[in-house]
Amino acid sequence: MGSYRQQPGAPSSEVRKDGKRVAGKQVFPPPGSGGSEPQMRPRDLDFIPETVGGKEAKPAGDHIHDRDRTGTVVGKPIPLVDSNAKVTGQAWYGDDVRLPGELIGKILRSPHHYARIKSIDTSRVEALPGVIAVSTGQDAPNRFGVLPVTKDEHAMAVEKVRHVGDLVACVAAVDEATAIEALSLFDIEWEELEPVFDPKKGLEDHDEPIHWRGKYHLARTNVQKRVFQEFGDRSLVKTPHASSHGSWTMMGVHHGFTEPHAVVAHWDPNGRLQLYTPQQVPHYTHRALSTVLDVPMHQINVIRTFVGGGFGGKSDPFPHEMCAALLARKAGRPVRITFDREEVYWINRGRHPSHIDVKMTADDSGRISGFDIDALIDGGGFASFGHVTSYYNGVLATAPYELGSFHYTGARVWTNKPASGAMRGHGAVNTRCAVEVGLDEMAESMNVDPIDLRLANLLPPHSRTISGFRITSNGMREALERVREGSQWDKKFRQLPLGKGIGIGCGFFISGSGLPIHWDPKNFPHATVHIQVDMDGGVTVHTGAADIGQGSTTAVAQVVAEVLALPIEMIHVRSHESDTSPVDLGSYSSRVTFMNANAAIRAAIGIRDQLLKAAWDMLGYHPNVLVLNDRRIYYKHDPAIGVSYLEALHKAQADTGALIARGAYRSPPMGGVHKGAAAGLAPAYSFSAYVAEVDVDVETGLVSCTNVWAAHDCGKALNPLAVKGQIIGSCHMGLGQVLTEKMVYGRTGHLQNANLLEYKIPSVHEMPHVEAIIVESSDPEGPFGAKEAGEGPLLPILPAVVNAVYDAIGVRLRNLPLTPDVVYAGIEKHVKQNGLEDAEAIEPPRLKHGPLQSVLVARSDEHRERDRLRQRSEDTSAYVNGVLFGFDPDRPLAEQVDGWREADEPLPEQLAELGFAGRAWLKKEQRHMGGDD
Amino acid sequence: MLMPPFELHHPSTVDEAVELAASLMAKNEAFDWVAGGTDVLPNYKWRINPKPHVISLAGIEEAHALSSRELGCMVPLSSLTTENDVHPLLVQAASKVASSLIRKSATVGGNLCLDTRCFWYNQSEDWRRSIDWCHKADCGTGADCRVIPNQNTLCVATYQGDLAPNFMVLDASVVLIGPEGERTMPLVDFYELDGMKKNVLKTGEFLLKVVLPEEAAQRKGCYQKLRVRDSWDFPEAGVAASWVPGNASSLMVASTALESIPRLHTEQVEEHLTAGDLDPLALAKIVQKSVKPVNNTALPPRYRRAMVKTLTKRALLDILE
Ligand SMILES: Cc1cc2nc3c(=O)[nH]c(=O)nc-3n(C[C@H](O)[C@H](O)[C@H](O)COP(=O)(O)OP(=O)(O)OC[C@H]3O[C@@H](n4cnc5c(N)ncnc54)[C@H](O)[C@@H]3O)c2cc1C
Ligand code: SF4
Repeated sequence: MGSYRQQPGAPSSEVRKDGKRVAGKQVFPPPGSGGSEPQMRPRDLDFIPETVGGKEAKPAGDHIHDRDRTGTVVGKPIPLVDSNAKVTGQAWYGDDVRLPGELIGKILRSPHHYARIKSIDTSRVEALPGVIAVSTGQDAPNRFGVLPVTKDEHAMAVEKVRHVGDLVACVAAVDEATAIEALSLFDIEWEELEPVFDPKKGLEDHDEPIHWRGKYHLARTNVQKRVFQEFGDRSLVKTPHASSHGSWTMMGVHHGFTEPHAVVAHWDPNGRLQLYTPQQVPHYTHRALSTVLDVPMHQINVIRTFVGGGFGGKSDPFPHEMCAALLARKAGRPVRITFDREEVYWINRGRHPSHIDVKMTADDSGRISGFDIDALIDGGGFASFGHVTSYYNGVLATAPYELGSFHYTGARVWTNKPASGAMRGHGAVNTRCAVEVGLDEMAESMNVDPIDLRLANLLPPHSRTISGFRITSNGMREALERVREGSQWDKKFRQLPLGKGIGIGCGFFISGSGLPIHWDPKNFPHATVHIQVDMDGGVTVHTGAADIGQGSTTAVAQVVAEVLALPIEMIHVRSHESDTSPVDLGSYSSRVTFMNANAAIRAAIGIRDQLLKAAWDMLGYHPNVLVLNDRRIYYKHDPAIGVSYLEALHKAQADTGALIARGAYRSPPMGGVHKGAAAGLAPAYSFSAYVAEVDVDVETGLVSCTNVWAAHDCGKALNPLAVKGQIIGSCHMGLGQVLTEKMVYGRTGHLQNANLLEYKIPSVHEMPHVEAIIVESSDPEGPFGAKEAGEGPLLPILPAVVNAVYDAIGVRLRNLPLTPDVVYAGIEKHVKQNGLEDAEAIEPPRLKHGPLQSVLVARSDEHRERDRLRQRSEDTSAYVNGVLFGFDPDRPLAEQVDGWREADEPLPEQLAELGFAGRAWLKKEQRHMGGDD
Repeated sequence: MLMPPFELHHPSTVDEAVELAASLMAKNEAFDWVAGGTDVLPNYKWRINPKPHVISLAGIEEAHALSSRELGCMVPLSSLTTENDVHPLLVQAASKVASSLIRKSATVGGNLCLDTRCFWYNQSEDWRRSIDWCHKADCGTGADCRVIPNQNTLCVATYQGDLAPNFMVLDASVVLIGPEGERTMPLVDFYELDGMKKNVLKTGEFLLKVVLPEEAAQRKGCYQKLRVRDSWDFPEAGVAASWVPGNASSLMVASTALESIPRLHTEQVEEHLTAGDLDPLALAKIVQKSVKPVNNTALPPRYRRAMVKTLTKRALLDILE
């Protein structure tokens, strides 16, 4: 099969005797026929699942989308569809947008950590020739914020500035030099206030809390959010067989994306705002602009430019976006604002500096009886995503292990520093590191291999976590087994010479937040995609999914191409403008491929069904026996009986014109009913396991990571090239956090290293060899089985490196990053404590298996079979966290155990023993103190 | 970031350059020399002491001279290669400066005349305003030093050039030229405290070239650089050592990135050698004791000081091999 012309019967061009075509007489291939490739390519059976007659292995069983596979592009490594624009320098990023008559906007920033603005006099600014518009906080008193529950930002300071670099005012001038000069002409009277830098101090009462939440304010503290979560039977932890306890300090890190923030605002002749911005979440910016500018959303068009990296750092609506719009409105001309790198650090939204305490216990059969986590996170000056981060720091540690009990206290405090926010692996990274290192330590005290400890305590596929998350596909076991084998773990762990080490770490992450922030999921879908096919056969896909470099546009194009069996060049994704794209929540929580591609598949099926119906009319064969393959539709048993894609299309269009279809995705109802139950809920979860190898120079403390075996369960790799890119990129980013990156606030509270020389992102020299291993567990609800691969792969690298450093030098380090001075100090202390002559005399740790080892191995062997049956849906019985401890999954756990608790507030008797962050529960809200409105 | 405006001058001979400097001085106009610009121009963009005039040394042919014994100030670091007959120690040291891209512009002269660095100082104007400036760039406020406060006279910014200690242990001299004429001196004498003064250059004077003695070719050397990343990063500590193999009395050790000027550790080496045989660890400890880094670079001073011992030991072991 294979030599069917796309346009049977099309006349050939008129040719001269010398073989050349006659000018004006050549027949161009009809549009949509495939142009230079007129013959149909044979079906690529290697990429059609065995469950529907192809040759692609499906070890995890069949999938509802198997029937929609055509072997066209899904599963094949292809370059991202926008890569040509990028490698030729033609992609238009924020600062590339140049509108005629543009003005340059500059922002005046606070020189104070915390101060009240008593007055601003702009008269000297306005008098400067070349200044066209000036704006201050008074022009935009409406508050905004990425989460509707915590709107605490203004376009510019209205009453107070909250950190050095906070926005005070802005100007638009004819050129940059004038704008810069204008900034020195503001006359401002300040009243300096007592700043808070240490998050521990943030838990205490303060004369002037950084924000005031009225009756919900917690006493007079700077606590923005406190969380308490307790599940399971806490009596299990009273007499542990083994335990570990680690207190961590993790410094804040920044996304370090290449492109600084930039925005262009322009009020068009009809008075509509056109705003160009490299946003991950254009829709929230859209909403915030509407609120701040007092303009209805339909009078604003948010145009997402190409995004030069986001990683969570471009997902808040930003004050400078408001500034540009305000200035442009005043000036009546377009205004462009581009940040210097320092301003990028001042707007921040990076990972929270954190103090994390993790205690864990195990019983005498090596089951994990409890996790006890306390996380105090430093939010900086604004709430941003912090409400969610406060939950994630705890609840995202409730898997992949089966737990006897879980206890979490968290608090996020405001401090006078640039605001922390969401960053790749949002909220999960730091706790995950502490948990995974805790497991390593506990395994050591049990004399067992830490990988076997993990393998014997995994939740199976299709189960429920202790906090009520619904786990579907689960490739954790395979990931662990593959990195164990790939790294030759059993020959290396605890056997390498001093200075060389190997370590393990796992990860667990959401594949799309189950709860849309802005609306009720019962009413509206999470994602919507529109498809339109006109007479030329080209397919235009409208989606609001923001491609931030992660390849969401490619993923959407791929799934549409797959369903319609069209070359990917025929799919055109339009996602830049809010005017034309259906509302999408944006690129965060690793939701885009899962939700958008699902919506796109549904829309594509809508188009396909119209084409098949037309083909049915033409051929007389029912769609059930028709095959779609490379621009042709034909009868399953006789490929000669068929029509070209274009013929079917034109037939389908006969009465209607362009074909259109829409698809939407909504996650199923899930989760518990306790306060905070929605945090961390996702329609699917990703799992990963990494093994890292390090060299530690014991005389200098310099750590270099040499090799990483990185296995990630992404459900199904729609594009293995993109998945590998995400894995390798995640390794790089996570290595930065664990080894060198930190936002340094000096003794005066100033950010000391707001530049790319002193904020030390690893260079190519620091990159290890990364062996990316893709695990495919075929998620039942994921598009073609896919789950996320953008954030989860970052989690395991941190603990894997920290554990490897321990393996190399026998010193537990819990201050991140592990810069050489930190490692050296640890070594020095160890040498002194053990009375050694010098660092060379350190004996690296060794492992002699204890009696528990064989118990764990036996259990994990048993569980391997359990998991296989559950993964393939051969065993569909219920499984909830607790079965390992002997509970009946079909009866409520509370009925079976006396001490079973599912609590979101501490009991009075618990108050005395809460961890650091937990102390926020000692304070009362104003409304319970009889205070404030 | 916007470059502040300045007038750029392009003299094509040494005389022209000196005359230009003299005429600007006569008019009381401030100026800076620029070579590769990889240090001075980023500082300008941060508005750290920008001047209205900048004189480029790039057009001066003499400044590009390169042989085994003479290195003109304009020679780019990427030309310090064995193919160009450059001393292996200098090749090694140059290859560790900044990044391969920067080394194409960065020059020998600029490296030796590098401005001292400090995290209270290498910051934007907005940033420095937020700490109310500091002594080295006080913008007329009389601000104090932020590293060692309450003294108001001294800047302790750190010299973080890589080449200087290496030239020192090769016993190099520098040729300076200015309106008052030409002078040659050992590189050791070129540097002068404090972090603002940096060196003996008088206004209008520039460093024309570096000259190595004939004996340098016999020296075996090693440079040990401490940095967090193997690219870009300035040294957090650096130790160079060299000797004529077999001749202990020829041993020289120099350090950089620890104080406001690089140092040749003549006294420490002498002290050690008069006490007995050459013992790398013992000498390393003496060198370590003699340096006093302060807290104004990426890594804490206590650690940098501790590392001086390791770096010195490693450099010595390497050359003694
Ligand atoms: C990201 C980055 C990383 C860096 N890392 C390193 C590093 O690891 N190690 C290191 O040593 N340096 C480093 N540097 C600094 C710098 O690039 C080098 O020191 C370089 O050699 C300076 O040479 P230049 O020609 O560019 O100097 P310029 O910037 O042109 O000049 C530097 C200073 O010397 C003066 N000057 C220049 N030539 C003369 C002369 N002939 N006579 C008198 N005065 C003169 C200038 O007026 C100026 O004050 C780094 C710079 C950057 C931007
Ligand atoms: S050492 Fe002191 S005076 Fe010198 S730059 Fe640093 S803070 Fe300023």
